[in-house]
Amino acid sequence: MKQTHAPTAETTSQGDWDDYIKAYYEKPASFKSWSGYDLKEIYTPEDRPGENYKKNSADAGTYPYTRGIHANMFRGRLWTKREVVGIGSPADTHARLKYLSQQGGSGLNTIADVTYEMGLDADHPWAIDEVGLTGVNITSIKDMETLTKDIPLDKVSWSLITASTAASVTMAQYVAVAQDAGYDVGILRGSIQNDPIHFRYCGFRPACPLDLSIKLGSDVMEYCTRNMPKWYYTTVNMYDLREQGITAPQEVAFGFGIAMCYIDELIRRGLDIDEFAPRFTFYVSCHVDIFEEVAKIRAARRMWARLMKEKYGAKNPRSMQFRFAVHTAGCSLVPQQPYNNMIRIAYEALAAVLGGVQSLHCCSYDEPMCLPTEKAHLQALRTQQILAYETGVTNVADPLGGSYYVESLTDKIEEESLKVMNQVEEVGGMEEAIRTEWLDRQFESEAVKRQKELDKGEKLMVGVNVFTTEQEKTTPLGVQKISSSSAKQQVAEVKELKRTRDMDRLNDAIKRLQDDANDGKNLIPAMIEATKALGTTGELLGTVREVFGYPYDPMESIESPFNF
Amino acid sequence: MAEKKKIKVLVTKVGLDGHDRGAKVVSSLLKEAGMEVIYLGMFQRPESIVRAAIDEDVDVIGLSYLSGEHLIFTPKVVDEMKKNNFVDVLLIAGGTFPAEDIPIMEEMGIDKVFRAGSLTESIVDYINDHVEE
Repeated sequence: MKQTHAPTAETTSQGDWDDYIKAYYEKPASFKSWSGYDLKEIYTPEDRPGENYKKNSADAGTYPYTRGIHANMFRGRLWTKREVVGIGSPADTHARLKYLSQQGGSGLNTIADVTYEMGLDADHPWAIDEVGLTGVNITSIKDMETLTKDIPLDKVSWSLITASTAASVTMAQYVAVAQDAGYDVGILRGSIQNDPIHFRYCGFRPACPLDLSIKLGSDVMEYCTRNMPKWYYTTVNMYDLREQGITAPQEVAFGFGIAMCYIDELIRRGLDIDEFAPRFTFYVSCHVDIFEEVAKIRAARRMWARLMKEKYGAKNPRSMQFRFAVHTAGCSLVPQQPYNNMIRIAYEALAAVLGGVQSLHCCSYDEPMCLPTEKAHLQALRTQQILAYETGVTNVADPLGGSYYVESLTDKIEEESLKVMNQVEEVGGMEEAIRTEWLDRQFESEAVKRQKELDKGEKLMVGVNVFTTEQEKTTPLGVQKISSSSAKQQVAEVKELKRTRDMDRLNDAIKRLQDDANDGKNLIPAMIEATKALGTTGELLGTVREVFGYPYDPMESIESPFNF
Repeated sequence: MAEKKKIKVLVTKVGLDGHDRGAKVVSSLLKEAGMEVIYLGMFQRPESIVRAAIDEDVDVIGLSYLSGEHLIFTPKVVDEMKKNNFVDVLLIAGGTFPAEDIPIMEEMGIDKVFRAGSLTESIVDYINDHVEE
């Protein structure tokens, strides 16, 4: 066992016992929060002079919702235990969904793979090698039928994780399948991630040009506002931003900045803030500093309420409520001593619940090694269940409210987030910050800082820079393999579908999509029809991309098969 | 001290994987450690990687994999290197891998695998110790 963080050494002749003796005298390495704020020895009423409870905190369920969006929080309903699933083919993914539902999962949650997010069909030359490796590719309505087979769409709550411009197609595919099965789409419950702006920072820039991101992202939001009143049509993804290495206040500020890009567009289209804001949701990271994460969530709730009321003039309380899902921080996990990840995940999940989360995904312990095995997935779900059913954290709303420390830290995160929001304003607003790559530079410099903190031992991580051991030879609960035969089969099925479909019907549907795009109409209705005509993800997006002046294929290796 | 030629490193993503935080951070920190770094960026194929490595005459190729694509692309990169007779170069990989895959990757031709959670010093030292003068 190697200890790089050495406390004051007490010399001894006891040889092997030196480490033991040193450890006895140990102090923490730092008194900073994860985001780098100096913390005091103790917090007292003097840290919050002139505290106005009703104005800044208020009871849960009351503006500005610092303490939670529901008065009774988990007493009314537990958070949704929603583990992300996306493995191999639609059929493989369906099988894992079924397994988790039998184990007590309470929300379906499926994630697109890189090929689908990029808007590529499974038979695209860039997709063939990678289809199904990181999620599921839905090339056509047939794949969506396989994924949703036998699932009562009118009763479940389904979270569809497609974030890029392909989210517009996912929405169309889901609606098309539901309509074909005879469901009234007005009663469907669930959410779609649909945050293409942020997704350029996750490697999907070719699929997410800024104007098309705002256009298609807002089309989904507008369509759902008018047709699917129970559907949450965006999950603004603060989590992925945080994974870039930024601090807690930056996560809030950049996330809100991106949310406002969509809000401003929807208002420009003539929607009233109270028509759509109640369906806005967020995807938040919970990193390993428990109190800072709880403070961040509390600050975000207060800031969102004020932003909606004061800047946008919202009147409906639901517009002011910051609703969010948490994904425990993948970047806080390491392959060294992999069992330790379960403990990190449990602390992060605790922070999410103490913060009043609506829906939770716990990472599986094998996140930094492979897709979750069935056993690892189950362990992640069990982590949530132990929290929900054993620990008592569900009894009381905002249990950390009133803590001198947490209240002070909430104020601090709010103050720092507002500073970052002002910085964004100073560079010309979020769209400008994106266009000029100001935001890229923030991510890159913060990520380097995080690595240096570990390199220098300013932040300690067990198994990484303290208490290191030999590399393990095996992964404790096995390794999830992706079946190359199911990928091959999916590719073959897509090729067969393209060969056998009714081309006249498809051409008409694609032509209508193209016309609607040229006319500046909302494209979701035409996408639903094109999906039913067996148009594929790549074909629908490619057609729209060309109208907006982008290459049909984001990878620029294939041409449009349509010629009007 | 005699002027020493800077070690030249090519860092790249392979295929569609968009997780580029690690590749960018490693690129920055290798530069700070005195190496010359060419970061090729995303959406590279084995052909474009080896072409760039030859054009730049690098000493090290660093492949970044975080989407489970390492066993698919590694043999293709190695084949491409052999095809171009560009084999006298250190081939390293970084990212997220199960422990079981590390010997497989080494068998395929990777000289050293750095998993997530590696400290910069371990990468810098390895390169300094293994790039031939």
